[in-house]
Amino acid sequence: MSVLLAVRGLTKRFGGLVALDGVGFEIAAGELVGLIGPNGSGKTTLLNVLSGFYAVDGGDAWFDGIGIGGRTPAELSRLGIARSFQVTKVFRRLSVLENLLVPGLIEWRTSRREAEQRAHAILGGLDLDRLADERAAHLSGGQAKLLEFGRLMMLEPRLVLLDEPFGGVHPDLKRLMYDTIRRWNAAGATIVLISHDMSAIFGLCRRVLVLSNGALIADGAAAQVRDDPQVLEAYLGDRHAAATTA
Amino acid sequence: MSLIALGEQVLNGLILSVFYALAALGLAVIFGVLKIVNFAHGELYMIGGFAYYGVASVIGLPPPLAVLAAFALLFGLGLAIEWLLIRPVHEGKVERPDEYAIMITFGLAILLQNFMLSLFGPWTLRPPALFRGGIEIGALVVGGDRLAAAALGVVLIACIIYVLRWTWAGKAIRAVSQDRETAAVVGVDDRLVGMLAFGLGSALAGAAGALMGPVFLAHPTMGVIPAIKAYVIVVIGGMGSVPGAIVGALLLGQVENLATVLIPDTTRALAYKDAYGLVLLVLVLLLRPQGLFGERARRL
Amino acid sequence: MKANPATAAGALLLLALLVLPLAGVDEYWIYILTIGFYYAILAASWSLLVGYVGRISFAQVAFAGIGAYTSALATTALGWPILVGIPLGVLVAALVGLVIGRLCLELHGAYLGLTTIAFSEILRIAITAEYESTRGSLGLSTPGLFATTDRLPYYYTLLAALLGSLGVMWLVLRSRIGLFFNAIREDEEAAASLGVRVGRWKIVAFTLSSAFAGLAGGLYAHVVQLVSPAMMSLGEMGLILSMAVIGGFHNIVYAALGGLFLEVLLEALREIGEWRLTLFGLLVIVILRYAPNGFFGALAQRLGAGRRSRS
Repeated sequence: MSVLLAVRGLTKRFGGLVALDGVGFEIAAGELVGLIGPNGSGKTTLLNVLSGFYAVDGGDAWFDGIGIGGRTPAELSRLGIARSFQVTKVFRRLSVLENLLVPGLIEWRTSRREAEQRAHAILGGLDLDRLADERAAHLSGGQAKLLEFGRLMMLEPRLVLLDEPFGGVHPDLKRLMYDTIRRWNAAGATIVLISHDMSAIFGLCRRVLVLSNGALIADGAAAQVRDDPQVLEAYLGDRHAAATTA
Repeated sequence: MSLIALGEQVLNGLILSVFYALAALGLAVIFGVLKIVNFAHGELYMIGGFAYYGVASVIGLPPPLAVLAAFALLFGLGLAIEWLLIRPVHEGKVERPDEYAIMITFGLAILLQNFMLSLFGPWTLRPPALFRGGIEIGALVVGGDRLAAAALGVVLIACIIYVLRWTWAGKAIRAVSQDRETAAVVGVDDRLVGMLAFGLGSALAGAAGALMGPVFLAHPTMGVIPAIKAYVIVVIGGMGSVPGAIVGALLLGQVENLATVLIPDTTRALAYKDAYGLVLLVLVLLLRPQGLFGERARRL
Repeated sequence: MKANPATAAGALLLLALLVLPLAGVDEYWIYILTIGFYYAILAASWSLLVGYVGRISFAQVAFAGIGAYTSALATTALGWPILVGIPLGVLVAALVGLVIGRLCLELHGAYLGLTTIAFSEILRIAITAEYESTRGSLGLSTPGLFATTDRLPYYYTLLAALLGSLGVMWLVLRSRIGLFFNAIREDEEAAASLGVRVGRWKIVAFTLSSAFAGLAGGLYAHVVQLVSPAMMSLGEMGLILSMAVIGGFHNIVYAALGGLFLEVLLEALREIGEWRLTLFGLLVIVILRYAPNGFFGALAQRLGAGRRSRS
């Protein structure tokens, strides 16, 4: 399988704080990878760097052979990287449909009618089509998260970076989100999923990356990572980890 | 220009700086706590000038008391304005709070300025001065009225700094300025502090107007230029920073005076006088938006 | 556009405006309406920036001034025809708008507001100071658009300019560009993450808004036949803001109507002097607080224009 995302020695500093410390890994096309780590470990920072919101201080990252460093978020989006945000960022005063039309009409050759057709199809898959003309502000938290998915799907991205999409979402909608992510991956999208929801991570992802204090401390099969003493230590502290592995 | 004349210019610049600092301080406190720029600040300054006139000339109280009266009146007015107009911003009732605050304070400015114009016409009033006659400082001669006003202004600024540093209310104000949510969590009534901040900011503007009125005459549009100076100062010093406002005021006072003196084409230099500060404002906002003492805002 | 009572009312108003001069309305009011059209273009172009893109600017009157003074100086000092002067005014206003828009890209909210105030005031002070070229506060006399003293040709020219401007703005706003504008207003970062070229569209919006303001200013110069720095004062900016807010600044048509009606009101209430503007200030506050869609927005909703008040 070809490498879609390659990261080498990635470093990001904020003043004296080292948010990312020489992170390196490769993700092949078609993978569904989980990214976990305690709060403040640098997961969102990594996402922000990969999507162009933060500049790189050291190291490199390549998407399909193209350097990510120095590119704007809009450029990276057009290259095929899509990301969601931890805090829902739907266009509140636009309708649900219009939210999807924004990414849908980025490509000038796409006509409004084509974009609307695709949007309705995607909304249908997310059970949001009946709300197409509703203002996005009227959606529930979970529906808004699904709307964000829908927006990203309109871009037909090759790499999808999801930042904690399940926060505070109703269990029924969560199931729909899990299915959506699986279908998305099956359709060919490479997905990196940040989440604290361990059942989602270990249920969806075969491979898991673990960040702690800005460093990558584990990268492997989900089951192995779960039992990795370093991972336990990062989450629970030394004494607990020592107790379980003793 | 002779050394004495230059010295007098510098002194006048310093005196002006005190007045500007008072007005700018009010703006800084409001921005620090409520995170909004009060576009009606000049009109509050103006009402302070008229309040002083009313209390000193019409009612007949001695000038220093009249200044305090103006301070108190504007404090009350500020509380009312915050409660009626600004409050919705922090209660999540407004879709676009930044825009709303800008436009509603701008609308308030229109209302207040034209209200006073309707009542008093465009004519100027001369409120009683704090002190009459000239004062000699060595070889320099300076107007006693403005020196006395500046002295009172310095006292007021010192009091405010004391309040902000050492009293509980002041600490509450600084706490909410730094982190509203955390302050609320530890028990500070952030809404009350917001109201107090606007009241205090308005009172400082009113005091500045009360002090400047006798020196530069009171009229309904007297607040327009000082307001712009206040914006320039607060931007240069750093939005929400109290020491920044004071340093910025000193800087602006000197820049304006010296530019007029040092630029060879005097008529042109004078005609552009009000523009120097504005050019500084633009440069600061484009190159170093946090000003001298402000914090760099972090996005995402 | 859907057929509904609000659109019908609008069409009726348009018809009335077209027919009014021929119906024997007093010349004075024809002139007032002509000035009203000037304000309508300014209010609408301001609302494009503030209501649709979410970029607050206090420089609208400065661009009108640029258009006016460019055309005035071109026609008087250089002796060029008005038909060259006005387009030149639009071009200069658009270019300055492009530069300022580019400089202000990273500024938001009150910082943007203050910077635009500064630009506007610096320009006004400069024009006043350079009285050798501009005659400063005395004002510059400019030739009229038409040789006749008849008000009608001026009326129809400004009306045509207003309709044309609204038409162009509307075409842009209902296209995907308008959608991108709205997205930028709602959430810049999200828009960027979806591929919207935020910087480019912000600059386009600023340039467009300035160009229309320049057009209004250029025409104004040759209608009123006197340009002075007073047309670029903060007081005038306050008037434009009031017109757009009271009309409804989320919609270019409502904002334009605000401009037209408030100018008429300003004249109709002339006797009460400064109380007029006091009233406007009060209305701005009340509307922002309780009816943010503006007077015409609320009216359209009453007439059943539908859920959204965007054109």
